[in-house]
Amino acid sequence: MTDMDNGRTGRSGAFGDTVAADLASGRALDLAELYALDAVTDEERRAIEEYVATAPAAERASFFERVRQSRETLTRTFTVEEEPPADLFDRIAAQLPSQVNGPDPTAAPSATSATSVTDQNNPRLDGSGDELAKARQRREERRRPAGTRRWLAGIAAAAAIALGGVGVGSYIADQNNPLNQVVRADDVREASVPVAAGGTATVLVSSSKDALVVKMNGVPAPPEGKVYQMWLIPKDGSAPVSQGLMDAEALSKPAVVEGIASAASLGITVEPVGGSTSPTLPTVAAASLGA
Amino acid sequence: MDTPDAPAVTDTPAELSQRLAVLLGQISQGDRAAFAEFYQLTSRRVYGMARRVLIDAELSEDTTQEVFLQVWQNAGRFDPAAGSPLSWLMTISHRRAVDRVRSAQSATDREARYGASTQDIDHDTVSDEVGSRLEAEAVVRCLGTLTETQQESVRLAYYGGLTYREVAERLNAAVPTIKSRIRDGLIRLKTCLGVS
Repeated sequence: MTDMDNGRTGRSGAFGDTVAADLASGRALDLAELYALDAVTDEERRAIEEYVATAPAAERASFFERVRQSRETLTRTFTVEEEPPADLFDRIAAQLPSQVNGPDPTAAPSATSATSVTDQNNPRLDGSGDELAKARQRREERRRPAGTRRWLAGIAAAAAIALGGVGVGSYIADQNNPLNQVVRADDVREASVPVAAGGTATVLVSSSKDALVVKMNGVPAPPEGKVYQMWLIPKDGSAPVSQGLMDAEALSKPAVVEGIASAASLGITVEPVGGSTSPTLPTVAAASLGA
Repeated sequence: MDTPDAPAVTDTPAELSQRLAVLLGQISQGDRAAFAEFYQLTSRRVYGMARRVLIDAELSEDTTQEVFLQVWQNAGRFDPAAGSPLSWLMTISHRRAVDRVRSAQSATDREARYGASTQDIDHDTVSDEVGSRLEAEAVVRCLGTLTETQQESVRLAYYGGLTYREVAERLNAAVPTIKSRIRDGLIRLKTCLGVS
């Protein structure tokens, strides 16, 4: 039987064989349904998200709108139900950690100072990044002397249990994704700043989401044995706070920095692999976060 | 409408949606009772979908558990402007189930999945508790506006956890064709259901 699918809706014609080809030929919007249906690989999902994150605002809004509508449609259409085991709720309740996103940061379990920047050498696209970022934000609010990192060990451990067994790339659905929260925020502002080694860094800032997204464009990989390190420079003149590392691989992905309310600017430096506890000047790129 | 003894009325999708949104707000404040009610209202959907995608009961329980822990931790991130609470929940659930099925199951199981997801091609039952009869009828009618190949492709992707490329391989069809079927099928369903 001839497929009547093509062109039936008067849309933009044929797809290519790959998501990359579709993105390259300007068909990102037509991928919204496949994306909403999780009918793409993790790699393709990331490619789509990265494209959308830096697409023109109107295209981005249209994409999210189509994704939203597709998900509502799927939720209404596929409604199979089955009673879970009777004890499942109790098992879940027994594991509930303290609220990560609770309104009162002081209610969190006692923190231990810990760890180097290596806990955050991935872009915050995965679900666990949410928790890391929140913890980081809280830490910034009650910051200890420079170089000492507060860490909510209890919550981090609980999150690890909750996410156990699911590997990299299993970041949660886009509404929860801080990247998408920023790029779709009503108050998102965009700026591009030059990077000393070549290329630019595009920074999307949302005050309402208290977060920003950094996307490197055409920036060369850091020199051998070096990484790029991102910093928030606090308004109050205290020491810069590391926001994570970008190695050659991470360079192609947008990175999310949360908890920016008290920061005056974002700086990027070149540091030895593993990162530094304070920035090695000069910065290779800097962006003011002033409104 | 609330009474001390009975949960809030959640007979229609709109009422359920309102209730779930309220509960998510409470959950984000650490309200365990709200979490229990949210679970009671939605766990059959989450577990049912997990079973359809994963088949294995234990994996489905694990996935359901992960989903609700995520609800507990991320309730504050629910944004009504970005979709209904149930859509938010099922998006998380589907993603988790698909991650699981793609990482945990062997090629043999994937064959089984293919079989499972094609068994009842007509429509799913809608529970008395959660969906109204009208809603169920609308879904059946709207699924009927899709071509058979569109229905099949969307269903394989949703319940089979297959990528568009895997769907194309299963159906021995060209990749661009399958992409179009999924896109056009979902758009047609959306239009018919009046999703705005």
